Amino acid sequence: MSRHRYFKDKLFKIMVFVFAMAGVAPLFAIISAIAVNGGKTILSVGPGFFYGLPSSPLSSSPGGIGPALVGSLILMFLSTIIGYPLAFMTAVLAVEFPESVFGRFIDVLVKSLLEIPTILIGVLVYSLLVVPTGSFSAWAGAIALAIVILPYIYTHVENSLRSIPADIRLASYSLGLSRAKSIFYVFTCEAKRGLLTAMLIGLARASGETAPLLFTIGGNWFTYFQGLGKPIGAVPLLIYTYTLTPYTNYHEAAWGASLVLLMVYLSLFAVFRRFSKP
Amino acid sequence: MITIWMHRRRILSLTLFLVLALIISLTTPSLIAGNKETIHIRGSGSTFLQLQLMAWITIFHKVRPSITIEYNGVGSGAGQQQFFEHLTDFCGSDPPLSHKTWLEHKGRILQLPIVLGAVAVVYNIPELKSHRLRLDGKVLSMIYLGEIIYWDNYYIKRLNPGISNLLPHAKIIVVHRSDSSGTTEIFTYYLHRSSDGLWPKRLVGKDIEWPVDRTGRGLGGKGNAGVVSIVKNTPYSIGYVELSYALRYGLDVALLRNRAGYYIEPNTTTIIAAGENAARTGLLPISPTGDFSKELEAIVYSPGRLSYPITCFTHIIIWAKYPPHKAEAIRDFLSWIISSGDKHILPGYAPLPGPVKGIIIRAIELMKSGG
Amino acid sequence: MKEDRLFFLALLPFGAIVVAVFIVFVSTLLYNSLPIFIHEGLMVYTSSTWRPVENNPEAEVYGLLAPMIGTLEVSFLAIIISLPPGLSLAIMIEEYLPTGLKSLMETIIEVMAGLPTVLYGMWASLFFADYLKSDLMIPLHEILWFIPIFGCMPESPYTVFTAGVILGIMIMPYMVGLILDGIRQIPKKIREACYSLGMTKYETVRILLRLMRPVIIASVLLSLGRAAGETIAVSLTIGNTYNIPECLFTPGYTISSLIADQFGNSGFYVYMASALYAGGLFLLLLGVITSSTGLYLMRRWKTSV
Repeated sequence: MSRHRYFKDKLFKIMVFVFAMAGVAPLFAIISAIAVNGGKTILSVGPGFFYGLPSSPLSSSPGGIGPALVGSLILMFLSTIIGYPLAFMTAVLAVEFPESVFGRFIDVLVKSLLEIPTILIGVLVYSLLVVPTGSFSAWAGAIALAIVILPYIYTHVENSLRSIPADIRLASYSLGLSRAKSIFYVFTCEAKRGLLTAMLIGLARASGETAPLLFTIGGNWFTYFQGLGKPIGAVPLLIYTYTLTPYTNYHEAAWGASLVLLMVYLSLFAVFRRFSKP
Repeated sequence: MITIWMHRRRILSLTLFLVLALIISLTTPSLIAGNKETIHIRGSGSTFLQLQLMAWITIFHKVRPSITIEYNGVGSGAGQQQFFEHLTDFCGSDPPLSHKTWLEHKGRILQLPIVLGAVAVVYNIPELKSHRLRLDGKVLSMIYLGEIIYWDNYYIKRLNPGISNLLPHAKIIVVHRSDSSGTTEIFTYYLHRSSDGLWPKRLVGKDIEWPVDRTGRGLGGKGNAGVVSIVKNTPYSIGYVELSYALRYGLDVALLRNRAGYYIEPNTTTIIAAGENAARTGLLPISPTGDFSKELEAIVYSPGRLSYPITCFTHIIIWAKYPPHKAEAIRDFLSWIISSGDKHILPGYAPLPGPVKGIIIRAIELMKSGG
Repeated sequence: MKEDRLFFLALLPFGAIVVAVFIVFVSTLLYNSLPIFIHEGLMVYTSSTWRPVENNPEAEVYGLLAPMIGTLEVSFLAIIISLPPGLSLAIMIEEYLPTGLKSLMETIIEVMAGLPTVLYGMWASLFFADYLKSDLMIPLHEILWFIPIFGCMPESPYTVFTAGVILGIMIMPYMVGLILDGIRQIPKKIREACYSLGMTKYETVRILLRLMRPVIIASVLLSLGRAAGETIAVSLTIGNTYNIPECLFTPGYTISSLIADQFGNSGFYVYMASALYAGGLFLLLLGVITSSTGLYLMRRWKTSV
């Protein structure tokens, strides 16, 4: 090999690695910033941070995030329970029946849902659901969130179904399995990791969205969960509100709440990884 | 087949885990909350009021655990909408109801000023150090119109004879709010009233087209926090924010010339003075059933030696009738604010002067149960 | 097969729900934006005046041109920022890393893809923006001041550039996923043929990249669509100022941050909410165009390899 080509090859390798590292560096920056600042808050408040109520801006304590945390957990699960089956089935429709016009149509449609600004989704659910029922509710928030996370879950399900090697697909069909059986017995097993990641992405998105909740859940600061038809609190709403105030103890609480959100997310991730191991 | 079976078992246990998590999160709070007799009062609206309400609610919640008040800062406009759609029990609004909306709901709603606030003019001129800048409505108008370009302008120097040699020959960066806000409305209304028509009436509002933006020296900040961060980070800038933000972030606050001709710093005394003098003008209704839409005229640029000129009331709007338990709870909360609220006022806010408190007392009397 | 037919029919209701949601949304968007079209016609998309007036609906004027341009600028910037690391990551994972590290890297990218958006936004606004201004924006301006888009001194850390960078970080994992998907579709024999000719890795990758050009374009289009709709992280970093940003270091607006910023008080005006819905309509249209073109390219390419 000529020196020139060898040199070019090495240079390319270095460039690829440098750019790749630059690409993932922000993740570590974010995690460390949140861990340091949020850690300080949680250590200073103690376990009360997880179940306590907010404190006054006049006090020096960051207070707790109890009702918001419970609310967020409920909203996460509820919206994924609504959104995941819908996303999964539509993805199957689009991937397994590409010859149908409807399948293609759905594909574009779901991906375009991504474009509606999340705050508008909240506002639309507000006018279509909250105003007619006469109350803010966990339901309304969960439905708004489900619509927001639908395209995200969908793309991940779609990608993992598409990434199933053609030989497996053919093998399954040649065994005489119908498409439905192929999907539920063979493909889901084959694409397990991707399908679980899709669920995780859904849960994670749902845990961190603020805008769709602004006009749908009402927002509880002092009241724990009372029922799915009643208003509910959420952590991102708390972080957003606290970040925009001038008070130090509220900023500390926002960092602490971010750390809690991060921990919930990372532990979910770990659990899912554990289950998706072959 | 074994792999499929194992796979199913995994999926099953995962589903179980999720269901368990859901059940736990659904049941624990109701165990903690327990008590079913709690009365919930819900409000939304002004973000400015949200912070003061948080201070009050946290303490009131300890005094009366059976009443829970939830409030969300969605903006005064959205707050009014949600209130009239009966999604909330009360609304927090920086501006009072417009004359038209008031006429529409006349007799069925009560409006009450609940706390006083002020808008501070803040600046960032490193050369001035601890010297305080003095400004009046005309000069501020010329700055926001883009007509005064440099800090060492003749008009600015004339108002600040003591420090005129310190003023730098630097371009003024003019900062304003980007979102529609009551703060902008009060500020522009002050410019209009105090500048002998230099600041035209059409430039008074919650969100206006800033003439200075066309010169390239104008900058918008989202919310008070946005304006604060720009002014803090940008030398030779000027902006306007709610007083609480100016105090919290240690920004330099300008002294403003009031109607009586004195240069006044915004603080609790001067804000209350403005409120008291506003009540004397006779433009303010004495009953919560009245029309408050002329209120700005009374309180902005109000007479009196001590009055800070950019002062404002924040209001809560409630129905005149509620179901008995809700009426009781709201009465309790309002009475508590009258008796103990003054002890828990945030820096940058000021308690109502006596005569205006009468409006709340009147509201408590007027609120009927039933219906 | 008959069973397949039944399965297809069983899936239809789910598809129908999605279509129904979409139709309800689009028609509500159309219905709610109708008043502004009647009030000022298509001017809402071609003018850049934003003049809310209370109690005088006739005087209200809303033009979305500035935030529309802002949306495009921010999205393109995000693409430019995320493409080099995105491509590099995909190449590194597929061509350079041993199996163990490969799955670790993929896990890291999945973590990034799912990280709650509010965390990105908070980190960017409270932390990253200041460093970006002092360590990148100011040096860029000092070196490249003669290029108009770098021609102004950054006054505040919240600018179109900041929003573009943070969006770039956020869409990068999505882009990696799309590109990886593409690389994996390329038959093994092409790679083997390259190596057997004695080509270096660089030369092989170059050939693969050339083969994948349509995939890369499609990934860019799909990511562009995703970037345009993002709300909270952008609204915390873009500076929210109504002007047409000729220079990247000035604050601006995107359609979605404009909506987030103005919706709370739009009830005080007659036409403002309607104008904001019209902005939503624009975004939806942009999304349908980018994603259908992207998907078309992707599909055509996949059948060709």
